[in-house]
Amino acid sequence: MAKAFKSGLKGITGYLEPAERDLLRSLIDDVISMLQPEERSGQDPLAALIGLDMEATEPTDRAVRRLLPNVVKDDGAASLEFRQLTERSLRETKIGALRAAALDLDKDEIVLTPEGARHWSMALNDVRLVLAERLDIRDEADAEHVHRMQDWSQAEDVESYLALVYNFTTWLQESLVQAMLQSLESRR
Amino acid sequence: MTISVAPGPDTQEGIRTGTAESTDSLTAPDIPWNLVIWNDPVNLMSYVSYVFQSYFGYSESKANKLMMEVHKKGRSIVASGSKEQVERHAVAMHGFGLWATVEKASGGGGNSGKSGGPGQGKGKRG
Repeated sequence: MAKAFKSGLKGITGYLEPAERDLLRSLIDDVISMLQPEERSGQDPLAALIGLDMEATEPTDRAVRRLLPNVVKDDGAASLEFRQLTERSLRETKIGALRAAALDLDKDEIVLTPEGARHWSMALNDVRLVLAERLDIRDEADAEHVHRMQDWSQAEDVESYLALVYNFTTWLQESLVQAMLQSLESRR
Repeated sequence: MTISVAPGPDTQEGIRTGTAESTDSLTAPDIPWNLVIWNDPVNLMSYVSYVFQSYFGYSESKANKLMMEVHKKGRSIVASGSKEQVERHAVAMHGFGLWATVEKASGGGGNSGKSGGPGQGKGKRG
């Protein structure tokens, strides 16, 4: 069984079983593949280099849209213009955090610096946002319903399996964030 | 009404050292944009508070107060400043996975869907 993250002298430490690492790795890979920007032929390489993507559009996939939301409520045009200027680098920021977390999973012992912990918390959050879309969590009642699934012997279909995975990542993120808040406090 | 909890622009240092930040500057005409964080059923309350503390440099009590406002009222104005400043914050919030939008400070937020009116998308290339 995984152990809750702890804040100590070495930094923030955690322990995960090999099967839990494999699970997290595949979840992270899924999210990375959703965030990978499309390679378009005839794309201006300089524009791409500085993060512009004038062909960016609002994502059609709900989960991707939650990861890369509109910046102005009820104003598609203003949001789209902003998206074209910023979405590419936002994708890269997210992918960077996800990759950093995946790299840490390859080590026997998980020891995180404050920056590493921040990457992990961002990566786990994005993983949870995607799982929540797949589980159709729209409000607190849905979340409560999913949260009740705690017993792995109950996993009999894709939805119950996803719910258990979601609850595992929620527990892991909560324990990480508690450790991060603790180390934030001790640095003050 | 939520304006009183919004900090001045780029005053992270000031907020860190003294929690009694001035609210006078908030009505100044040169601070016309708000950063709004919206409630969602996924983001952990502890995580949202961590983001407010670590990114904005807010005290624990201020971060928790804003987080509870998001949770209970559905949204909260967590920062104000120039359009460029709140847009930069919004990208950072999206990086953390928080649901953030920007809106013009005038008009009281909340009920007006179209907060900025025509032309607000222009002149972003700074």
